[in-house]
This record gives sequence, C-alpha cells and structure tokens, in this order.
Amino acid sequence: MKSAECLAMILAGGQGSRLGVLTKSVAKPAVPFGGKYRIIDFTLSNCIHSGIYTVGVLTQYQPLELNTYIGSGHPWDLNRNSGGVYVLPPYQSAEKGEWYKGTANAIYQNIEFVDKFNPEYVVILSGDHIYKMDYSKMVEYHKAKNADATIAVIEVPWEEASRFGIMTADENGKIVEFAEKPKEPKSNLASMGVYVFTWDVLKKYLQSDEKDPGSSNDFGKNIIPTMLGNGENMCAYAFDGYWKDVGTVQSLWEANMDILADPPAFDLRDNDWKIYSRNPVKPPHFVASGATVNNCCVTEGCNVYGNVKHSILFEGVTVEKGAVVENSIVFPGTVIKEGAVVKKAVIGEEAVIGKGAVIGDENTDSAEYASPYCTGGISLIGGGIEIADNEKIGINAMVTSNGKGEN
Amino acid sequence: MKDMMGIVMADNSELRLNELTEMRSVQALPFGGRYRLIDFILSNMVNSGIINVGVATNINYSSLMDHLGSGAPWDLNRKIYGLFMLPPYVRGGAGGISTGSVDQLYGVLTFLRRSRQQYVLLASGRTVCNMTFDDALKQHIEKDADITVIYHDAKEKSEQLSRSNVYEVDEEGRVTGMESEPRYPKTTLQGMGTFIIERLKLIALIEDAYARGSHDFVRDILMTAVGTLKVYGYEYKGFAGIVDSVKSYYENNMKMLDLDVRKEIFSGKNKIYTKVKDQVPTQYGKTASVSDSLIADGCVIEGTVENSIIFRGVHIGKGAVVKNSIVMQNSVIEENCDIENVIIDKECTLRQAKRLVGQPNYPVILPKRTLL
Repeated sequence: MKSAECLAMILAGGQGSRLGVLTKSVAKPAVPFGGKYRIIDFTLSNCIHSGIYTVGVLTQYQPLELNTYIGSGHPWDLNRNSGGVYVLPPYQSAEKGEWYKGTANAIYQNIEFVDKFNPEYVVILSGDHIYKMDYSKMVEYHKAKNADATIAVIEVPWEEASRFGIMTADENGKIVEFAEKPKEPKSNLASMGVYVFTWDVLKKYLQSDEKDPGSSNDFGKNIIPTMLGNGENMCAYAFDGYWKDVGTVQSLWEANMDILADPPAFDLRDNDWKIYSRNPVKPPHFVASGATVNNCCVTEGCNVYGNVKHSILFEGVTVEKGAVVENSIVFPGTVIKEGAVVKKAVIGEEAVIGKGAVIGDENTDSAEYASPYCTGGISLIGGGIEIADNEKIGINAMVTSNGKGEN
Repeated sequence: MKDMMGIVMADNSELRLNELTEMRSVQALPFGGRYRLIDFILSNMVNSGIINVGVATNINYSSLMDHLGSGAPWDLNRKIYGLFMLPPYVRGGAGGISTGSVDQLYGVLTFLRRSRQQYVLLASGRTVCNMTFDDALKQHIEKDADITVIYHDAKEKSEQLSRSNVYEVDEEGRVTGMESEPRYPKTTLQGMGTFIIERLKLIALIEDAYARGSHDFVRDILMTAVGTLKVYGYEYKGFAGIVDSVKSYYENNMKMLDLDVRKEIFSGKNKIYTKVKDQVPTQYGKTASVSDSLIADGCVIEGTVENSIIFRGVHIGKGAVVKNSIVMQNSVIEENCDIENVIIDKECTLRQAKRLVGQPNYPVILPKRTLL
C-alpha cells in the first residue's frame, strides 16, 4: 500500500471512565497493557505492519501522558520525513475554537490535515482495542467492492450482541441494516470500530453532519446510519482473530490474563507482527533465591524476592521477600513490600503496598471502597497510592486516594 | 560538556577472549543480559553531554555496526555532530587493516580535524562502569595537563593487573611512572583505557608518531609522554569492570547479580542505553524455578536457572538446569539439559538432555550458532 493512498486517524480522545481510577490522569489509550505496552501500541503497530505510515492521533482527555508517550513516533518507526505520526488536539481558529464534540466532529475539525495528504482512503480507528489486524487487506477489500465505506465486524456471542453496534449484511457482504446497541439483535456481527472510508465521500458527509444542529456528530449514531439511509455502498469486512475492547476493569484484567493462558488466547510472541512500544531503559529483571515465579510475564527492571503466580509484572516492579502476588496485574514502578498479599488485583503505577497488607481479601468488607467500576472480584489500587502496613482491602474495591475510598 | 568529543577505539587486539571475539570486536561483546560492552562508554559519553562521537573500527566490525546503527538509542542520531563510524582507511593499496592503534588513529585524523571541540575523550570501551567525565575534565583543565589518564585502584595484584597499564601517581595527581603489562606491577592503579587530551595536541602527537613509524598509542605515545609532557591521573572510585579475558568477562557478568553493583550501574540518574529489540516480556511456565539470576525480555523459562545471566529471547525447556552460566541471545536449551559454568554464545541450540560442565574459574565457551 502506498502511503499517499491511505491515511489512518486514531480516535484517542475518550476518557474511558469505566476504567475508574486508572484513567483519572491518563487517557484510556495510554493505560498500560500486557507487561510492557500501552493500549495504543496495538493500533500503532497494526498501522506500521499494514504499511500505513501517515497516522493522526486525535487527543482530548488528559493528553499529556499520551502526547509524551507518542513523542516523535520513533518507537513505531513513525518518525518520518514524509508522513509519520501527528498528535492532533482540538484547536482554536480565527472563527472559533471548540472541543471535539463527537467522533465524527473530531475528524471534521481535521479535514484540512487529511486533505494535506490527499489520500484516496481514510482508515478510522479507535485507540482502545487489543488486537492484531492487517488494515491493508481491509483496504484491498474496500477497493474490490468499490465501497464507499467498509466496516470491520466480528462475531460476538448472541447474548452479548446488544452491547455492540450490530450489522446485518446480505450474502455479498453489503450492509443492509445497522443498529446501535439493539435490544433484539438481528445478527451477531458487531462493529469493531474500524472503518475504511473513501475520503471524498466521507468528507461530504462530515460537512453535512456538522451543519445538522440535532446531530451528536458520532460515527455510530449519525454518519453510518445517514450513509446507509442514502443508499451508499457499505460493506462488512469479517475479522476472525482476537479482538478485545478493554473498556472496563474486568475486561482489562481478562485480556491481560489471556496472555498467560496456555496456549495464549492472545499471542504477543509473534515475530512477524511485533508490538512496538517505548522502551523504559532498564536492566534485565532479577529473580532472587527463595523467590518463585510461575505462569507469569515479567519484564525489565523488576526485582522479585517473593512469590508471584499467574500475574503480569510491568517494568521496575519490586516484589519483596515473603510477598505473594496472584492473578494480578502490577503496573510500572510499584513496590509490594515484605509479606504483603495481592490477589486478583490491578495495581496502578508507582503504588506502594505496605508490609503485611492484603489486597483482595475475601473476609474484609470494603464498602467504603465500593465502586461500580470494580466487579468480578477484582480490586483496583490507583497509581501512586500507598497502602499502609497490615491494611486489608476487600474484593471489588477501588482505592483512589491514600486512606480514603472513592469520594 | 559541549567542548569535548569522544572517540572509541574498537579493536580485536590480542586479548584473551578466544571464540567470543572471533567474529566480533571486543566492544561488541554481549554483556549483562541485554547490553554490549560499547553501550557503557557510549552512555557515559552521552550522559556527560558529549554529542560528537567517532567509533574507530578495525576488523570484523559488522556486529558493531549492526548494533550502533544510526546511534538512535544513545540519541546520537543527530543533525549536528552525532555518531560517526570510522572504518579502517585504505590508502593507495596499503591494505586497510590497521596494524596498531596509531595507524587506527591516523585513520581518524580527518574526523579529528573536522571537529571543533577543544578536548577529546579517547576510550577503549571495554570497561563496565557508569561515570561521567565532567570532574575528570575539570581536573585536566585545572592542572593544565597535556594528557589525563583515568584509572581506578584495583586494590590487589592480579593476573589481570599484569595485562593492564599500571600507573605511579604522586600526591599532586601527576603520573610519574607507568608500566604496560608488567609481570610484577609496582602499584595497583589500573588504567581504564580512557584518556583526556586536547584535540589539536592529539592530532600533533599522532602525526609525529606516524612520521616516526611508531605503532602503539600506549607504548609509543603515552610512555614517552610520561616524563616529557604533563601527564596527570584521575582516579575513578566507582565500580569499574574491565573486560580483557574470558575470566574477567565471566566474573564481571556475574558481578551484575550483586544488588549494589547493579544499582550503581543501572539504577542511578544516568542510564545505560542499548539497542531496543521490542521483545515481549519474559514468560515463566508453571514448571519454572529461578534463583539469583538476571533474565532479559523475550525469554521462555520452563526449567531451572540458578546464578546465571540469561539474554534476550532465550528458551530454557522443562527439566533443564542452568547453573553459573551466561546464555546469550536467542539460544535454545531444550528439555532436561544440564549446564554448569558455561558461556553459551548467541543462537546456539542444545538438544534434549545434553550435559555440559565447565570449571568454576574456567568456563567452557560454546561458540555462536553451535548445534549440540
């Protein structure tokens, strides 16, 4: 695929509020995943592997960490003279300045940016899914079908279909109906939030959508239904690999655990489809005598003196002597002190779990820490939080500040 | 320190590294699980604010070139100065392989002349340490020195000291005597192969030595300078692991298992940079058992590892036992192997149930790409 032919726009402005304290100060695409990655690494790496070298990343919510993380784009080979990665925040122009009102409005506000590259096709992506996908095949499909829009779809279990945007397609793959979160789904083909548009057609719709004051300027709610209503040629592109929306604490935890399955439900060890990320510049990890590490992913800069089982340790994590970590995800720089126990938990960055403390203790009632975001028996400790020595935190708890529950 | 440039003299000299340097220069030797020796000097230079670095190569430098690339990991991919590879210069049919360090330096004269920094840090790049050169340069200027040699106190006489440059230094810091590879060294002040010298002075010394048909920087330039020029010593007090033999290579690797050494080298304000390989985190199987070991990313560990250094992308199968060993990148140790006191070079494969045991002070080397 020639770079001028196709350009990708990644919608990375959403807060991801269902991730609770994990997205308190970072946007969802910047949330750590899989031991050494951030969620957006998957989409950026997919772009590079698909031969798409011009990528716009639309940011809005808490962009600092994401902007710093993307930087010049060199971890993904996106620091280029022609093309490369561009971070596109909302801006002020001579006439007006406003936030991105919706996904479609975010692209609308960047029409000039896209036009500068004069692409034939635009791939619209979201920066918060875990999957490996070759977009170039989808663009080829789009061309072969002579489509105006192509939407990637994946089969989901029927009972979950009402949580997604559901497509109904005819035998030629042409979309005949689209329903956003239908109560009674007619199909189980869910939209993955991956779109290919013929740019001239999309531009026209973005401009007319902007003029409609009643529109919420959203792809799923407005652009797609309007295009369908006008009889544009819209096709469904079936994808059958691993794809996970990690929008909730539970789905984030599950997707991480998928890496530890034998064989892994999602394989990161794929030399033909490496996931690139920014490197922390740390030495190899150290496992001391007396430590046990089983069924785990451990990365650079960790020091393990305790017992870690079925867990993922991000860079620079220390597990002290006698500490136990099970079924958990521990984000960068966190210290689990001597004798502490961490069970089925997500621990944010640079947190400290005090000596003898217990996270995920079934016998402790943590009503004060209860949160609608923590379900499925998972406990969540926010970044930078210090849990006092011997403190016990129950299951389904979310600790967002030192010594206090949520608000 | 924008007024100092750096030159690394990569060599394949007569060091006792056997098969380890058959295919690569010493500076390209893998070290500490994910590094190569040259990473330490390059990071130290960059952490000192040096932005103009030349790497003078001799023979077999492809692995070094591959590792350094454009210099991006050290932020040396720059428009203004940056990293320069200086391969041997071929003069009118005169071969092209340098016969000594002066010839090698003569080859870098153009680079020296084109640079504008006043001082040069000349280094062999075989020392594992995390230091900056600000204080050494300050001392060099204060003492109005012609040459400053950076040394550390090895504290005791050893086989290695007898292969090193050994200095006698008076209380003013002036070098009053020097020996190269002395059988019975007079002191324990061991040179770290690192020197500070004014750029124009270095150019003059090289031209002069070359004209006289001299070959060796240490024997022909430095030794003459002690006594005739102002040569001062700067003592480095931190950890300095000099690699010049299989034994010192093995021992210095094993020193990285010590928490204090590791903290000093890797966890301070100044980082040690290396080429990034985008490996996945290391995966531990249900049968893994690891103790006192450094494990890099991208490994699959299903067996037992004790007191060892495991590089990126190594696979250790079920029931295999690896003790007191160094296993380099992408090597595979299949099920039920038994390995002790062995240095396994890159991309080796040990088929099931192989047994390989070296002596504690004389590790066995398995050369690159060996299939056993």
